[in-house]
Amino acid sequence: MKRQDQRSVGELLMDADFTTRQLLMDAAGQDAPAMLRTWGEVVQSASELWATLPQPFRGTTSPIDGVTITRLESMSQLMHRDQVRRGWPGDGPPDERLLHVAETLTRAADLIDRRGGHIGPTDPAVRADLDAARMRIMHTLYVGAHSVGVAAGQHVRDVELATTRGKSDRESRAVPRGRDAINRLAAFEQLAGAYVGNQFARAAQGEHVHGPHGTERLQQALIGWDIQAHRTLAANPTPANLLLASRTQAGIATAAAAILHAGASTGHVDTHAYEQRLAPTLDASQQAWTQVATRWAEMTSPASRTDLDLVHAAGEVRAAVREVAHDKTTWARPEVMAGRVELGEAAQHLQQALSTAVDLACVTRDIAAQDASLTGPARAMSHRANADIGRAADRGHRGKDVVWVTPGDVYANRTVTIPQPVRAGLVDATDTLVQTASNAMSAAACLDRVTQDRPSASGQEPTAPRSRRPEGPTPLAQEAPRVARP
Amino acid sequence: MTTNDTIDQDAGDTLAAVARLLRHAAVRAWAQAEAEGPRSPLHLLGLGIHTASCQAMAMLPADADLEGQPPAQDDIAQLLRSAEELTRAIPVLDQTAGISPLVVAICDLVREATP
Repeated sequence: MKRQDQRSVGELLMDADFTTRQLLMDAAGQDAPAMLRTWGEVVQSASELWATLPQPFRGTTSPIDGVTITRLESMSQLMHRDQVRRGWPGDGPPDERLLHVAETLTRAADLIDRRGGHIGPTDPAVRADLDAARMRIMHTLYVGAHSVGVAAGQHVRDVELATTRGKSDRESRAVPRGRDAINRLAAFEQLAGAYVGNQFARAAQGEHVHGPHGTERLQQALIGWDIQAHRTLAANPTPANLLLASRTQAGIATAAAAILHAGASTGHVDTHAYEQRLAPTLDASQQAWTQVATRWAEMTSPASRTDLDLVHAAGEVRAAVREVAHDKTTWARPEVMAGRVELGEAAQHLQQALSTAVDLACVTRDIAAQDASLTGPARAMSHRANADIGRAADRGHRGKDVVWVTPGDVYANRTVTIPQPVRAGLVDATDTLVQTASNAMSAAACLDRVTQDRPSASGQEPTAPRSRRPEGPTPLAQEAPRVARP
Repeated sequence: MTTNDTIDQDAGDTLAAVARLLRHAAVRAWAQAEAEGPRSPLHLLGLGIHTASCQAMAMLPADADLEGQPPAQDDIAQLLRSAEELTRAIPVLDQTAGISPLVVAICDLVREATP
């Protein structure tokens, strides 16, 4: 005999939340058809549970409360009807984990129906509990929709990869229908996300839940990043923002090397140019951005905050790169990347990003050299000043014994203006950064010629816009501008 | 920047611990990436973890205590799993708005970091 479930409504809701989290952490493409078949049941159970919760007393809650869950249920029903009409993903077993979520929510609804549905929520504590329950239900739908969307995305990529070895009609149908499901789930996720979040949540969740795919997404992410990085650093050039900017630029250089390597391996990028010029200059640029990021990191404290718009833009760059170039924890194989996107187009977008990186490097150097408001924690600044002086002494420049940070400041680890040796070291590092970024831009100029000479995969003209070329001197002739030391 | 100034003390303390774990995980990922070289995919994993820690920090009031010893654990996936486990204790309320996207971000990172 099955043991009776003794859990409370709160515990059941936590169980449902926990299961959707597990689902997201383990989501895999092969699970997508079963998950899509079962998702409707989860939404229906959530909607029924919502309906059993005692209604707000005298309209004490937001008017959007009931509307959102009704819209979500309607979206889910339309999605289900479309799946039946188009015969995809078709009949098959359900996803047991999502089924468990649906059953858990139904169990909670039964519990409320039997014991508490008649209660009028006049007590503020009861009303707060009900609000918390509604939020937890919506949160579960939000996480669940994201899980199904991740699995569907992986499934579509798996099927697209199968094009290299030939695929059945059924598999071919899975790509457009899978994409359609992803878009619908993205809309669902966004609506549920608007309920559980406020302005902050909407800003922080990013644009990755909808929008373009492949090289178009990569292009938009890189352009969006460039604009946002300039905006943030112009308005608020703090070490925390500079740290994220530098780490993201290092990530772009890493991704460029991986994607261009795939391009070279599959004939979309000139192999000799990649091996002889692009790869070494990209590596050097990546290391220079990393070196500078390490210095900015030393100047941050645990409490330092980063501009959320910059965080959002960095997240979108990372998501766009992952869509093209990653396979779980490592880089996708070159032929896999080539199966996902037109690597010649991707190379053009990266070439533009490597050009704009030079300007961001110059902005970074100007801040390092000229911004008098740069500060850092006393202990880290003292340590760095002594290390930089030690290095200068090793090179034969012996300085006077100067105490750059007072013992009192070090003891209390106060925030102090960066000492002169730290600034000098920072300017040295950013000089190297500008030079390496310029070298990478020069090396990447060949990508323009190579991709212009090649027909696109569809046999049409390349789709990349030509209007957003970096202004200024031609890459090969550009001399990196230098600024005076403080 | 928007912060949830009225966040409950317990939830705030837990969220601060999540932020610390994520920050440490990002530092570990970047350290491993630098040891592997400029083409290591861990550079981008570190970036993802760092942006998640920025999301967590943004939800905290300005005077939140974010100091403290770094955790002894060095395994990146385990650090991320620990951060996810901590978020389970944070209620999903108006005062903790932003927790749902953070949970999704951490779960995505766990999946990415697990071979």
